[in-house]
Amino acid sequence: MMKKHTWLKFGTLIVTMLLGLVVFSATNVHADKKEPHYVITTDTTYAPFEFQAQNGQYVGIDMDMLRAIAKREHFTYKLVPIAFNSGAQGVLSGQFDAIIAGMTITPERQQVYDFGTPYYKTGIIAAASPKSGITSLNQLRGKTVALKTGTGSAQYALSIQKKYGFKVTYFNDSNTMYNAVALGNAAVAFEDDPVMKYAIKNGIKLKIITKPANAGQYGFAVKKGQNQELLAKFNAGYAAIKKDGTYDKIVAKYLGAKESTFAGSAKENNSLIGLLKQNKDQFIGGIIKTLQLTVFGIIFATIFGVLIGVLAVVPNKFAYGLSSTIIYIFRGLPLLVLAFFIYIGLPSLTGTKIPAIAAGLITLTLNEGAYIAAFVAGGLKSVDVGQMEAARSLGLPYRKAMLKVIMPQGIKLMIPSFVNQFIITLKDTSILSAIGIIELTQTGTVIISRNSQGFRVWFLVAMMYLIMITLLTFLAKWADKKFGNN
Amino acid sequence: MATKVKVTDLHKSYGDNEVLKGINLEVQENEVVVMIGPSGSGKSTFLRTLNKLEEPTAGSIAIDGIDLTAKETNLNKVRENIGMVFQHFNLFPHLTVLENVTLAPVELGKLTKDEANELGRQLLAQVGLADKADAKPTQLSGGQKQRVAIARALAMKPSIMLFDEPTSALDPEMVGEVLKVMRDLAEDGMTMIVVTHEMGFAKQVADRVVFFADGYIREEGTPDAVFNNPQDPRAQDFLNKVLNV
Ligand SMILES: Nc1ncnc2c1ncn2[C@@H]1O[C@H](COP(=O)(O)OP(=O)(O)OP(=O)(O)O)[C@@H](O)[C@H]1O
Ligand SMILES: [Mg+2]
Repeated sequence: MMKKHTWLKFGTLIVTMLLGLVVFSATNVHADKKEPHYVITTDTTYAPFEFQAQNGQYVGIDMDMLRAIAKREHFTYKLVPIAFNSGAQGVLSGQFDAIIAGMTITPERQQVYDFGTPYYKTGIIAAASPKSGITSLNQLRGKTVALKTGTGSAQYALSIQKKYGFKVTYFNDSNTMYNAVALGNAAVAFEDDPVMKYAIKNGIKLKIITKPANAGQYGFAVKKGQNQELLAKFNAGYAAIKKDGTYDKIVAKYLGAKESTFAGSAKENNSLIGLLKQNKDQFIGGIIKTLQLTVFGIIFATIFGVLIGVLAVVPNKFAYGLSSTIIYIFRGLPLLVLAFFIYIGLPSLTGTKIPAIAAGLITLTLNEGAYIAAFVAGGLKSVDVGQMEAARSLGLPYRKAMLKVIMPQGIKLMIPSFVNQFIITLKDTSILSAIGIIELTQTGTVIISRNSQGFRVWFLVAMMYLIMITLLTFLAKWADKKFGNN
Repeated sequence: MATKVKVTDLHKSYGDNEVLKGINLEVQENEVVVMIGPSGSGKSTFLRTLNKLEEPTAGSIAIDGIDLTAKETNLNKVRENIGMVFQHFNLFPHLTVLENVTLAPVELGKLTKDEANELGRQLLAQVGLADKADAKPTQLSGGQKQRVAIARALAMKPSIMLFDEPTSALDPEMVGEVLKVMRDLAEDGMTMIVVTHEMGFAKQVADRVVFFADGYIREEGTPDAVFNNPQDPRAQDFLNKVLNV
C-alpha cells in the first residue's frame, strides 16, 4: 500500500500543474508597466461597431474610437472579442475591466454597470427576407423570430411578443442571426438600427420592416463602482475626440464605406482559393491556436488522466473515492458549461482574471482528462491480478510494480482509446471559441461576419479540421507502431 | 538447524467463510515440505499468507524470526527473501525472458544491470533455458514458462521458495522438466514449501508431507508415514483416491 505522503505528492503535482498553466498563460498578458493596462471586451461581430478586417485586426466605430481614446488618455488595453452576452457577464464577474460593444444604455443595465457618456444614438428595428412577403409585425403570429442573446433588441422583442404572438429563437452573433432569417429559418430579426442597416448595405439580403423603436444610446460600461479611473479616462477622451472631429471622421469612415473596403472584393470572395489567399494569415493563426490547444490539451489531459486513473486502482478507499468523484464530475459536465464556469464563473468567486487560453486548457485538461482517467482505470483493472501478485512476491513495492509491470501492459491496451481521445480533443477545441479564443472555428465565424461567405468559409474550415485529424491519426498510428509493440 | 517458518494458530476468513481454522506449522532450514489435500481445503490460501499476498485474520507468522503480522515489519524486505512460483506462471508478457528474471534485482537496487544480466543468464542456464534469454514469454511452452518463473524467483536469492501447484497447468510431458528443476533446488538445500498433486515428487523429495482438509492440517509426517500409514480418515480417503488411479 502506498504511503500518505505519496498521495499528497500526487495531489500537489496536479494542483501545481493547473496553477502553472494559469501563471504561464497570465504572464503573456502583461504589457509595459508605465501606462495602466486594462482588459476590455467587445463583441465578435457587430459591424460597423466592431468586426475583423481582412488583416485580422478588429476595426469599427467602437474599435477606432477606443484606440483613439486610449492613445490620448495614455492607457493600454488587451482586447477580448467574445460573444456579447459572455462579455457582458465577464465584466460583472471581474474577468474584464470594461465592455465596448454597441451596448445600449438601459435602466436595468444601469443597476449593475456604470456607463460612460452616451456616444451613439440607436433604435431597434426588425428586418425580414424580401422573399418572405413579410412587411409588418402583424404577420408574425405563430412565426419564429431570431434574436441575439442578451441584447437590448432581444429584450424589446420579448416585450412585444404577446402582442404579436411570435415564437423566438436565439443566436450568439449577429451574422448567424441574419443568415437564419435570409435562409427562411426565422421570419424576422430584431437588431439595432445602425448595425442592421450596415449589414444590409453590405449585402445581407434583408429588408427593414419597422421604424426604429425604443430609441436609446450606446455606452462604454464598467462594473458598477469598479474601474472608475478607466471610465473617467474614457469620458475625457471621448469629449476630446468629439470636439476635434476625430469621432465624426471615424463614424463617416464606416458608414460611408463600401463592403469591399473591409471585406475584400466580390471576386476574391467567390472562389475558395481567393478566400484562402485573402484570409491566409487568419486561417494560419486559427490553425496554430487550435493546434496549440490540442497539443497542450492532450499533454496535460494525459498526465492528469493517468494520475486520476491510477488513483482509481490503488488499494486505498480515499484515493478511489477521489478518483471516481473527479471522473464523475468532469465527465458529466458539458465542455461548454465547464469552460464558461472556469472562465466567467470562477473569476467572480476568486477575483482573479483567468486568460481565455488558460481557462481553455484547464477545461480540456479536466474534461478530456476525466475520459482518459476512466479508460486508464479500466485498462489497468483488466491486467491480470496475477501480474501484480508476481511483482509483489518478488519484493517490488506497489509503486514500482504498478510502473514497471502493470502500466506498460495496461497502456498497451489503452492505445486505441488514447488515439480516439486525442481526436476528440482536437474537435473539442472548437467549443472553446465560445470563451473568445480565436481558434479555427472562431476564425471561421469572424471571417464570415465580414464577408458573409458562410458556405465557402465553413467548407474550408471543415477541410482544415479533416486534414489536422488525418495527420493526428497518422501520427498516433506511427507512435503506436513504434512504441506499442514491445 | 534454524527455524525458517513458524506459523501459530493462523486463521483466515473471507467474509463468513473461514478457510483456515487454526494452522500451526514449523519449517526448518533446508527442509522440503509438500502440502496435499482436496480442492478448496485452503492450501493456496495458506501459502499466500506466508508472504502476505493474503492478510491473515488472526494468528502469527514468523519468517526467519521476523513477525509478518507486526506493523513495523517491512513486507517488501521479507518478500525479497521468499520466492514464489504460481500455477499460471504469471510471467511479465511485455518483457523478455531475461528481463523477467532481472527486473526485480535491478529495480530494487540489488544488482547493476550488467550483474543482473550475468546472474540472469546463469539462472536461465541452471533451468535449461540459456538459449531463450531474448525470447518473449508467449514464445515459450508451459514447461519453459514455469522454469523461467522459477529462475525469476531465484534472482532475488531467496532462502525460502513457495510453489503453488507449479505443474498443474502443464501438459503431462512437460511436468518432468519442471519437477527436475525443483528437485535440483531441493538437493542444493533450498527450504521449500510445495503445494502439489504430484505424489511421486512428494515421495522422493519431501522431508515432510502435510495433509490439508477443511482448513485444518489433518495429518503430518514423513512421506512414508503419511502415504503408507495415514491415521486421519479424510487423509485415508484422499490418498486412496489419488494413489490408486
Ligand atoms: N479471494 C477469495 N475470496 C473469497 N474466497 C476465496 C478467495 N480465495 C479463496 N477463497 C476460498 O477459500 C477456499 C480455499 O481456497 P484455496 O484456493 O486456498 O484452496 P486450495 O486448497 O488451494 O484448492 P485447489 O486445490 O483447488 O487449488 C475456497 O473455498 C475458496 O473458494
Ligand atoms: Mg490452490
